[in-house]
Amino acid sequence: MLSGWLFNVCFFLSVLAARTVALHAEQFDEELTLRPLRDGKLAARFSFTTLLKGVAPRNPERLDEDDDSQHYTLFPLALGQILREYAVTEMHLTLNAGNWAYDRWGYPDDLGVSTGAELWAWMGEGGPVTVDDRWKGLRNALAGLFCASLGSLDEQRTTSPALTFQPEGSLPRWNASHQLRHATLPSEHVCTENLTPFLKLLPCKARSGVAMLLNPHRLFDADWHGLGVHVRYLDAGVEVRLAFQAVFDPVRLSSDKRRDWSLRSVFDRTIDRACPVARSSEVRVELLPDSAYAITPDPSEIDGNRATYAVKDRTEPLDVAMRWPGEEAFQYPIEAAPLSPLSVRRTLKGSSQSDAQLSVVIRNNLPVQVRSSYLETMPWLVEFYLHTLHADIGGVPRDDLVSVISYTAPVPHTRPTLFQAILTLPPKTTLHLTMDVTKTFLRYTEHPPDAQRGWDLPPAVLIPFDFGEDPIQNHTTSPGTSAKYARPARPRRIYTSVLLVDLATPDFSMPYNVIIMSCTLIALIFGSVFNLLTRKFVLVRLDGDSAEQKPDVK
Amino acid sequence: MDFRLAFPALVAGRLLLAYTSLPDVLKNDHQLSSPLTSYSRLQEGVYLFQQGFDPYSGGPFRHSPLLLSVFSTVFPLTRFTSPILWTACDAVAAWALVRIWRARQNIAGSMRDTLVAASYLLNPYIFLPSLAFSTSSIENALCLTSLMFACQGRSSAALMALALLTHLSLPSILLLFPVSLLLLTDPFSHLAFPRPFVARIPSLPPLLAEFTAYFLGLCAAATLLCGNTTWVEKTWGAFLLLPDLTPNPGLWWYFFTEMFDHFRPFFLMVFSVHLLIYALPLCIKYQHDGVYATYLLLGVLATFKAYPTLSDPGLFLSMSALFPETYPYLRHPIVTTLLHLHASLLLPLFHNLWLTQGTGNANFFYASTLVFGMANGAALLDAMWAGLRVAIGEMRGECEVAQE
Amino acid sequence: MDHSSRPLVDPAKPFFESNHTRRSIIASYWLVVLLAVPLWWTTTSIDRLSLPTSRVLAQQDKQLVFPVHVCLSTQESSLAGPTATLARVVQQLLDAEREMQERSGVHIHTDLDCDRDVYEVEVLSGTNQPTIEGKRLRFEIDETQVMSAMRLTDTLLTLLAPYVTLRSNNHQTERVLKYAPRYRLALSLLNEDATSEHSIKAWDVQGHLSKHISPILDRLSVLHNFTVESQIQFHAPLAFEPVTLQGSGQEVHGLTQEHLTVFVNSAEWTLSSSVSNDPVIHFILFVPSAKHTPLHILDAAGQPVASSAFILPQWGGIVVHNPNSAISESTVLVPSELDLMFATFRHQLMTLLGVPELSKNIQSNQSLTDWQIDALLRRRAIENAQGSKDTLRSIVQLVRQIENMPVGHDVKDDVQGSLTALEQTYAAASSSLHASIERSKEAITLASRAFFNPGMLALLYFPAEHKYAVYTPLFGSIAAPLLAAVIRELMAWRRTRHGAQQAGSKDAKEKVD
Repeated sequence: MLSGWLFNVCFFLSVLAARTVALHAEQFDEELTLRPLRDGKLAARFSFTTLLKGVAPRNPERLDEDDDSQHYTLFPLALGQILREYAVTEMHLTLNAGNWAYDRWGYPDDLGVSTGAELWAWMGEGGPVTVDDRWKGLRNALAGLFCASLGSLDEQRTTSPALTFQPEGSLPRWNASHQLRHATLPSEHVCTENLTPFLKLLPCKARSGVAMLLNPHRLFDADWHGLGVHVRYLDAGVEVRLAFQAVFDPVRLSSDKRRDWSLRSVFDRTIDRACPVARSSEVRVELLPDSAYAITPDPSEIDGNRATYAVKDRTEPLDVAMRWPGEEAFQYPIEAAPLSPLSVRRTLKGSSQSDAQLSVVIRNNLPVQVRSSYLETMPWLVEFYLHTLHADIGGVPRDDLVSVISYTAPVPHTRPTLFQAILTLPPKTTLHLTMDVTKTFLRYTEHPPDAQRGWDLPPAVLIPFDFGEDPIQNHTTSPGTSAKYARPARPRRIYTSVLLVDLATPDFSMPYNVIIMSCTLIALIFGSVFNLLTRKFVLVRLDGDSAEQKPDVK
Repeated sequence: MDFRLAFPALVAGRLLLAYTSLPDVLKNDHQLSSPLTSYSRLQEGVYLFQQGFDPYSGGPFRHSPLLLSVFSTVFPLTRFTSPILWTACDAVAAWALVRIWRARQNIAGSMRDTLVAASYLLNPYIFLPSLAFSTSSIENALCLTSLMFACQGRSSAALMALALLTHLSLPSILLLFPVSLLLLTDPFSHLAFPRPFVARIPSLPPLLAEFTAYFLGLCAAATLLCGNTTWVEKTWGAFLLLPDLTPNPGLWWYFFTEMFDHFRPFFLMVFSVHLLIYALPLCIKYQHDGVYATYLLLGVLATFKAYPTLSDPGLFLSMSALFPETYPYLRHPIVTTLLHLHASLLLPLFHNLWLTQGTGNANFFYASTLVFGMANGAALLDAMWAGLRVAIGEMRGECEVAQE
Repeated sequence: MDHSSRPLVDPAKPFFESNHTRRSIIASYWLVVLLAVPLWWTTTSIDRLSLPTSRVLAQQDKQLVFPVHVCLSTQESSLAGPTATLARVVQQLLDAEREMQERSGVHIHTDLDCDRDVYEVEVLSGTNQPTIEGKRLRFEIDETQVMSAMRLTDTLLTLLAPYVTLRSNNHQTERVLKYAPRYRLALSLLNEDATSEHSIKAWDVQGHLSKHISPILDRLSVLHNFTVESQIQFHAPLAFEPVTLQGSGQEVHGLTQEHLTVFVNSAEWTLSSSVSNDPVIHFILFVPSAKHTPLHILDAAGQPVASSAFILPQWGGIVVHNPNSAISESTVLVPSELDLMFATFRHQLMTLLGVPELSKNIQSNQSLTDWQIDALLRRRAIENAQGSKDTLRSIVQLVRQIENMPVGHDVKDDVQGSLTALEQTYAAASSSLHASIERSKEAITLASRAFFNPGMLALLYFPAEHKYAVYTPLFGSIAAPLLAAVIRELMAWRRTRHGAQQAGSKDAKEKVD
């Protein structure tokens, strides 16, 4: 009787406990931002944010204990399992195709535009499993989830450039500190196989809401496209943001070279119905103030240069369209000022398969001095000669403008290079950086199947962070010229384009031939030496048949 | 030509060449400097060391900590100072070679001195690596200095130089056998009239102990300079484990580029042990002439060691000038010379075709290293034959000396 | 020095031509070769430790049998005599069923000795159905002894040996999941189309889990650990179109038996968990869209059946929920509906885990009686023991067949650990069921870890011929002169000794002459 009563009490308490622990609200917001660009293109950014309120990332020190049960309504369970299994605090995965043209398009809405795959994660230290083991598990699990070859983001690609990749959310205050792991795979291509699992993580998939527009045929035809998964920890809880960015070319799509666009013309779809579980579901269009355009239908709200449509309020399918009735055909702007504070061009010079020169040309577009960090994470295929790092401006050596802050030398077959420097860029000038590099020679098993194609090298990353005082602006307030470059609230990354390096290849059909030929030569010399050392000298008569005669010896 | 005039002239010529733009063209050439002797890598290591980074934490720098400390403090490496140092190394080496020649003949000077010095200073296998500022020039100078001291009977100096050489280039430890032999006998030429080595076994352990002491002292100094022992794996480990597969004229790099991963450790062991197997038999067979045994062992090292450059066979070929008595007994000098000529044309040509022009492939250069290996082997065998054959003397009548 | 005029000397005269020098050279070659042999060994040897093959084979014939002690007792003095008789008759009847007991891995023994912690049958007079309280069975008798004894024997057998066909396969066992130390329970609420009016947007999953499922999980924690998780999906379309029936005035949709087998649309539903190797048991609450409501399961004749739930063997359970039109406005499930569904889930879970069903005529106040759990434990212990035996035998056979297969320390330790645990499983069977199941869990875990050890696969692709092709070019041509030299020297040495002997004997002869 007593035991029964006790059991009931325990049961009741456990029910209560379960309810209090796991009672967390989830909210889902979706948004599509459309931005007509100066060169007639259209940048689209889909953003799907799920916030799991009142939940903290898993503490790695408690990895050996049973985890709390995961009960989700909107949060993707497949991703939640991975995050908790490997105790990941913050994670960013991007899969992109193409080079982002900062000069013409300005900063992207989502900063991660590195070509190919990029994965970085902040994880707490301590606990039974090391950060590196969890990093390995994380990338394998994500590789499985997104059908991407992230498994090859191994130790040979992994670095920890903590200065450049600061956490975007906050880090929980645990006993042990947090560690960054970062890896890139520029040769990875994003395609439909990656989009399908991406869509499965959305509560409404691609069946309702803004995500209905994610039509793979159109997305992967865009000039630039990429998807991203961003997990961070905010004070409110854990936030997962799935993003898809693309840059379309309506001029190319249109028959009469006009830049007019509509959702139907760009995506071949419209938004037919709202996602029933989204808290907010909006389409935003950035308006160009200095051109004569028409936008249909009437937006729900116009705030400055931005028109907003709330998808939930609409009963009929939404098809936003923008037209420039005054334009016959779109004229490409000529010699327009770059839209980003820095313009970067990075190349690998030299035709030899053993040496090359890395050349980086950085132009500061601002009328003020800019300080910027510069990061190279190079696989060990290419080794830097740091002592040949030189900077010049217009042919005048200015090595004082570069200060190296950290360098991790590569280890063949094991570890990549990490190079971080601070560059000081005088106003409106172009800085040339050059550095000799040497290309390594690989074992024949280390080459990829298409070895002659070469290796993609990851992009360098610049973060302009310290904008000096503008002398002109202080004296004469000239609006329009420099006020355009509002100093960013937060330092933002600029990725350079990737490089292709061709390494010398061995002959892949040769292993046995080489073994046989080298061994034969060695055995030949060895055998001859051995014979010379061990055989006896004899005299041989040249004409006669009786050998080993010994004529008149003294 | 008078030696006192010719020698400075040769050295000055070398120095002038080093101040042209030739070194900039040659310094990254794979045939002239290996990853373990490259000037660029040495500069990189010194730069990293001066910037406060550990140069041994990564793969590019594989030079000895002693070189690192010398070049980062006492002797800065610049475009002005380097030619002086490398020319000085060559001059010392050539001078040592002349002294060895004199000690061997037991004379104060001869008409041949100039020829001997020129054989070193004008040997393209020697002066091209030297123009590329390959540290193999330093190793060669140390090797000849050690041999010179040994010929002069100055055992401590000889062992010190040998210990330093071994510290810079691990396979040179094989030379300990013939150098000890030389220290226990006399340097004179006994090739024509061989006599067995009279065993003075009790005097051997002190020599070995002295060498070990010097060697350990150098290791201790290196460890002290670095603060840890990672340098051991990066410098000596490279000779045994071949982590860097940069092409060179030797036999190892392509073999291990193409080797199956499963057999790699085994063949690395075999190739290292294979080097070791020659030391004792050669010293036993040529126990009557320590210099000759050293010479032959250098030939073995030049053919079979892990990261050879052209300066290794160069040293072997230059030393041939010390043994004119063997010339009449060379078995097939024409073939050997032609093979060497052939190889020295093929090597740069195919290297260029493969890596610079991009029109050839790796097999081109590999084939030329095989030819070069054959040339080195032929020279070695020729020298071995002649070294033994000279003892039997001139043939008269219808007979020929052969081996059964 | 004029070299050209040097006279010829006997080629055998220089000291280096002496036998002694030559032999020491050959010896020094062999010295280095011999010194390299240990290095050779360490760089090429495959780490192949010997496995305890004989111990593994010795295990193969053993059968795990649990002795079960049942005592009969009674509080009623009038029944003391009949109880004793009953015990004896039941034992006789049970002995007749020895073969069936053996198949279930039990050996039942009945007596009147109720001191220890054993299964107890309390005999009462009456006509009620038997009831279970903990380990006690209240059994009421009124009819003849023989009938009672047969009834009691039958009851005991269904309770203690419910898996009649444990050592052979049948439909029931095929549903049961393979043993795993940890299962992942994944509950999914799937809306076929959330934009339709019948969708369910939320459910109180935690509350009902703790009410219906957690007690079971706690009882089973001896055997398994569980990770529980849940999710909701708003667009989970079916991969097929259900059949449409014209029911009583209303259109009814049906799932045929074929539909049930392809019901799970793994292409569109995100169900699988890729994170760990633990097997997943799925429980799906499927809410059809408005155009498929109501959705019923059809029997073989095409008629709707009453139940809306079904089990996919070894995979999980599915409940189809047709929202009640009266309360369809609500997008959450009311507790009474959820209670029903979770009770179904609980039943499905017990079936999938192999918990024996309590026969209908036995009453119990618990949802899961000690008798059921013990039967399950015995079943899993037997399965695990059998599984570990089979796995160990496979490992031993595999290693024997493939000579290149490396066997590392971890594999050997796992095999030995598994064997030890297996032996302890047998040893503990007679004394403690719980100790036995613990050891059997260990045995199967270690055995499968050894079997799937990735290190054992490393060299499968390097056959012996390949090895010779790699070794021969160098060693064939190097070994030949080395061996030939040794043989030649040996022969020369024998000849000289022979010659010396002959010369000696000749001398002696000459002397004699």
